[in-house]
Amino acid sequence: MGELSILHMNKGEGEASYAKNSTIQRQIISYGKTVMEKAVYRAVENSLPKSVGVADLGCSSGPNTLMAVSEIIDNVRGTCREIGLPVPELRVVLNDLPGNDFNYLFMSLPEFSTNLSKNKGIASDRCFISAMAGSFYGRLFPKNSLHFVHSSSSLHWLSQVPSGLEKSGEHLNKGKIYISKTSPKFVVDAYLRQFERDMWVFLRSRAVEVVAGGTMVLSFMGRASPDASAEVGSHQWELLAHALMAMAKEGIVEEEKIDSLNAPYYAPSAEEMRNVIEEEGSFVVNHISALEIGWDGGLVLDNINSNVDFDESSKPLKVTKIIRAVVEPMMESHFGAQVMDDLFTRYHGLLQDYFSKTIAKHINLLVSITRKF
Amino acid sequence: MDIHKAFRMKGGVGDNSYSKNSSLQKRVADKVKHITMEAIQQVFLAKKPKSLGIADLGCASGPNALSIIKQVVDAVDNASRAIQQPPPEFRIYLNDLPTNDFNTIFLGLPDLYKELSRGTKPPLYIAACPGTFYGRLFPDHSLHFVYSTNSLHWLSAVPRGIYDEEGRSMNGKSVYISERSPPAVRRAYLQQFQEDLSLFLKSRSRELIRGGRMLLVLLGRTASDHAHCANSFLWELLYQSLAHLVAQGEVEEEKLERYDVHFYAPLKEELEDEVRKEGSFRTEMVEMFEMERADVSGSYGTAVAKAVRCIQESMLAHHFGEGILDKLFHHYAALIDQESVKRDVRSTTALLLLTKL
Repeated sequence: MGELSILHMNKGEGEASYAKNSTIQRQIISYGKTVMEKAVYRAVENSLPKSVGVADLGCSSGPNTLMAVSEIIDNVRGTCREIGLPVPELRVVLNDLPGNDFNYLFMSLPEFSTNLSKNKGIASDRCFISAMAGSFYGRLFPKNSLHFVHSSSSLHWLSQVPSGLEKSGEHLNKGKIYISKTSPKFVVDAYLRQFERDMWVFLRSRAVEVVAGGTMVLSFMGRASPDASAEVGSHQWELLAHALMAMAKEGIVEEEKIDSLNAPYYAPSAEEMRNVIEEEGSFVVNHISALEIGWDGGLVLDNINSNVDFDESSKPLKVTKIIRAVVEPMMESHFGAQVMDDLFTRYHGLLQDYFSKTIAKHINLLVSITRKF
Repeated sequence: MDIHKAFRMKGGVGDNSYSKNSSLQKRVADKVKHITMEAIQQVFLAKKPKSLGIADLGCASGPNALSIIKQVVDAVDNASRAIQQPPPEFRIYLNDLPTNDFNTIFLGLPDLYKELSRGTKPPLYIAACPGTFYGRLFPDHSLHFVYSTNSLHWLSAVPRGIYDEEGRSMNGKSVYISERSPPAVRRAYLQQFQEDLSLFLKSRSRELIRGGRMLLVLLGRTASDHAHCANSFLWELLYQSLAHLVAQGEVEEEKLERYDVHFYAPLKEELEDEVRKEGSFRTEMVEMFEMERADVSGSYGTAVAKAVRCIQESMLAHHFGEGILDKLFHHYAALIDQESVKRDVRSTTALLLLTKL
C-alpha cells in the first residue's frame, strides 16, 4: 500500500480536496460539543493548571482543525471563568502523520491568532500553537505535558494494514478491501487484533503524556452490531470494492491488485473499545455513546435522515466527494491516477442506487475518558 | 506588500529549490558548528536540565534544518556521557513563517527519528512552530538554547519610513540601500532593523531561562557605507537586472520603482548597540567574517543566481509575475560573472553569541 507514514487526505483547497469536502467530519466535531465541554471542565477542575497543554490528534488540514481548536480554547476559558481560575497559558499542539498537508493548515494560523487576540482577548504570549508530525500509535509528547486530548475522525485508521491477511503469497480477502460477509474468519480476527494492539499502544502512550485527571475525547467511526461485517460500518468500503471489481471485469484494473489491497481501517463496536480501555487500565470511562449519522453528516432521527445542507438529489455526489477526498491518495498509490475519475464515477452511481433504497447510516463512537490518579 | 503572505524560500526538493541551493548557508552553519555545539554543551553542563528546549528560528526547508538537529543531539549526548549523567529529553522547535515549506521538513522526520533512535535514552520531540520571530513564539522560560542562521537580516516588513506622504517609495532608483538612496531611506532601514531586533530580543528574553544561550548568524557589513558592502552590491546587480528588463519593455518602470526589499545587513556596532539597549543579554562573542568563495563547476554567476533566486523568487513573482524570472536571473548571473572579476563579491557574515542574564 505504500508507506503508511505518508497516509493523508487530499491536499490543498481544490475541488477534490479534504478542506473543501469534509462536512461530515465537521458535523461530527459539532455533535461532540457537549461531551467535549464537560471533559475540558473535568480536566481543568482536576489539576487547576497554570499552563494547559491541549493536543488534537489527527488534525488533518482544512477549516475543521481550527474550528475544533477554537472550541477547546473557548471551553478552557469558560471553565476557568466558572471556577474562578485565571486563564492559564495555552499550549496547543496539532498532530498528524508526516504526509499531512501542514502547509495549508499553517496558512490559516496568522488570521487565527489575530482573531484570538482581537475577539477573545488572548494575547500572543498566552497561546502557543505548534505542530507535531508523527504517528499517534506511539509517544509524541513529553511526559505529563497534556491536560486535554481531542481526536476526531482519526482513530478508525489503523497503524498499518493488519498482518496476517496474506499466507504464502496468497491474498486472503479476495475481491474485497475491508471486512465483508465473504471475508474468512481469520481476516476478521486479524483486523480486530490489529485494532486492539493499536488502541492499546495509543492509550498507553497517552497515559504517560496526559496528567492524572486529564481527559480525552475521542470520536471515530464504529459500528453497533457485534458482527464486524455488518453493513453499517463497512458498506462504504464494500461499494468501493464493488466498483473496483467491475473495473477489473472490464480489464481496467488488475483483480490481483484488488485482492492485495486492504484498508488500514477498523470500525469497532463500543464494547470492543471499552474492552481495550479496561485492559490497558490507565483510563476511566466517563462516557461512550454511538450516534447514528447519515453518510452526509446529518443526524438520523427516527429513521429520517435530516439533511445537512443540500437536497436529496445532490447527496450521492456530495458523499462521493467526501469519500474521495479521504481515500483517493490511497487508491491512487495502488491503482494509478489515471483510473481515479472512472472509479469515483462508478462509485457515485452505486451511491445513487444505495441511497434510493436505504437510509445510509454510519455509527460514530464518542468516547470520553479520564486519566486515572 | 504583505511579507507574511508572500515571503518564503522556494519549497520542495526540485532543481531550483532552497533545499538544493543552500550550500552557502550550509557552509556558514558548518563554519560556526563548533561554536554552536560548544555553546549548547555549556548550557547543558551548567543547568543539567531533565528536559532541554532548543529552538531553530528561521529553519527554512531542506536538509540544513534537520542535519543541525542530529549534531545538537550528538553534542549533548557526548557532554552527558562525559559527566556520567543520563542525557536529557530533547524538545526541539523548528520555527519559520507560516508560508515556509514545512511539509518537506516533516517528510524527512521519520528517517531522522530512526537515525536518532534513542533506545533507552529519554525521547526526542521535534515540533514545528509557525509564526514570525518578531514576537512571542514559546512559553516563558521554556528554552535553553536558541539559534538562528541566515534569517535575521530579513526585516519584519519593508521599512515604513521609505515611503513619502503620498505613499511613494523614496527609494525608486534602488531595491535596497545604494549610492542613490536618500538619507531618509538609509535612516528608515536602520530604524526598522533596530525595532525588529529589539522586539526579537525582548521576546527571546522571556522564552529563555536564565543562563540560556542564543547564537545568531546573519548577513552583515563591515563598511559604514552600504555602497561598499558586498551584500548591497548583490542587490544593486539585481536592481540593474530589473532595470535591464525595463529598458527592454518587459517590466514597467513604475513597478520597479515600487519594489524594495525587507533586508538589512548590520554593522557589528549596530548589533551590539541593540543588545545593550534591550539589556537582557550579555554578549559573549561578536565576530564578522567572510566566507571563502565556493568552488563551483561552471559559472560562478549562475551558482550565485540560483542561490539568490530560491530566496527572492516568491517576492519577485508576487510583485512582477513569474514570467520574467528566467530572463531576470539569466541576466543577473551574467552581471555577477562580469563584476566579480572587477571586485570582491564575498558577503560578510555576522556572528553573535549571547547569554540570557
